[in-house]
Amino acid sequence: MMLIAGTVPIADLPLTIGTVRAEGELLVVDGYRIPRTQGTGAMIGAALATTEYLKLESPQVLIAGDTGRGTGTQKIYQHLTQRIAKLAPRVLALHYCLPNMGLMRRLCEAIDRCPKRPVMIADAGSMYAAKAGRLAREFDIFTPDASELAFLSDRNATHPAYISRHLFNTDIAQTPKLVEEAHKNGGAPEIILAKGSTDYVIRDGEILATIAEPDVPELEAIGGTGDTITGLVAALAYAGLELQEAAIVAARTNRTAGKLAGVSPVSKVGEIIDQFNVVFKAFLQEWRGRREAG
Amino acid sequence: MLFQDVQDAMRGERVLKKARYTVRLVAPPPELRRGCDLALEIDVVEQPGIERALKENDAAYIEIAPLKKESAELLDIVGVTDFGRWVMVKAANMKLTFDKESGVIVNISGGGCPDIPYLHAEMIDKQLKEAPRPRDAGFTLCARMLDRALEEALAIWEGGEKA
Repeated sequence: MMLIAGTVPIADLPLTIGTVRAEGELLVVDGYRIPRTQGTGAMIGAALATTEYLKLESPQVLIAGDTGRGTGTQKIYQHLTQRIAKLAPRVLALHYCLPNMGLMRRLCEAIDRCPKRPVMIADAGSMYAAKAGRLAREFDIFTPDASELAFLSDRNATHPAYISRHLFNTDIAQTPKLVEEAHKNGGAPEIILAKGSTDYVIRDGEILATIAEPDVPELEAIGGTGDTITGLVAALAYAGLELQEAAIVAARTNRTAGKLAGVSPVSKVGEIIDQFNVVFKAFLQEWRGRREAG
Repeated sequence: MLFQDVQDAMRGERVLKKARYTVRLVAPPPELRRGCDLALEIDVVEQPGIERALKENDAAYIEIAPLKKESAELLDIVGVTDFGRWVMVKAANMKLTFDKESGVIVNISGGGCPDIPYLHAEMIDKQLKEAPRPRDAGFTLCARMLDRALEEALAIWEGGEKA
């Protein structure tokens, strides 16, 4: 199974685990309804749209309410640490959480004891915790945006708010250099999908692909459009694509969906997720064929 | 977190533990030492919420000093992208976009801490001046960066209004 874990912005939502299904604009898990908006909701929504198209088992999700104090984060990490071996997911994607290096370290130790290691994906606060705790190499892929990549490359930063001034507004062409720095500092896993005006897929310093088309700059302003990429990567990896291919297809899908939706800075992330089905129908076979032909 | 005297440090610990923050009384590293020889070790990501909890309880402290000197300064610079009718303001990992004509916040993106999706829901579709301030409603460094973006957006909006 694929397991997605992260907090949702509903203060009193208890720790909840179950198979997710869609109900209009909402997602339903064990009877609880959560919005398909910025954060874990957008990531789950993207993963669900992908598994539905590919006729795969829907994602299992582990969520808890957290509005910033870390209570939901603690419940999620404690649950995972105690039960990850029994849950035995094939893909584990960690998302919005209060960055807590101790909780992350204990989870990574528990994963080391699993009979079979899951494909490990992190974004948002979980990625921050993994980097700050020097645990990036416990993961297979991170999906940072430009400022988060600067954070991964900055040896001393424990949060993107503390990156060095010269790293802010770094030109997109500097992405490979920042990834190289991140690797040197132990701030990067094997694969990085760096999201920006040009998306880079880089494995251990080697650029595997750059994706710049279609160019939809408005996507950067829309809350949740980075989260959907991570959800796509998780679901495509679960479908059996190699991680680097999952990253490339995810970046192309998100851009193309944004273009088809005709987004503006006012658009909501759900409008983009709703286009995934159309994008997959039109392009997935071609994109996969391109790799096989290459 | 550095304190003038031991009583302040112990009071700070009590207040924060009551507010359910994980904190520890430690000896301050010599290079950071100011005031007394007790300090509180906190998670810097939770700095905004911790500062607010102390303020609300009139608990005094000197300053919060990250252990690594090289990372001692919060990023203060912002970036601005003009989308025609809309402007996106970026502070560190946070981006806030508003309508130039109405001053209404139309989108918030970026971030990774759990108060950001909450603030996203609370701030979208509100006028810049009427939206809740992340510094008051949030708890994390992501919220502080979102507040910085809001501050800059307000300055741009008010400059435009005056013009």
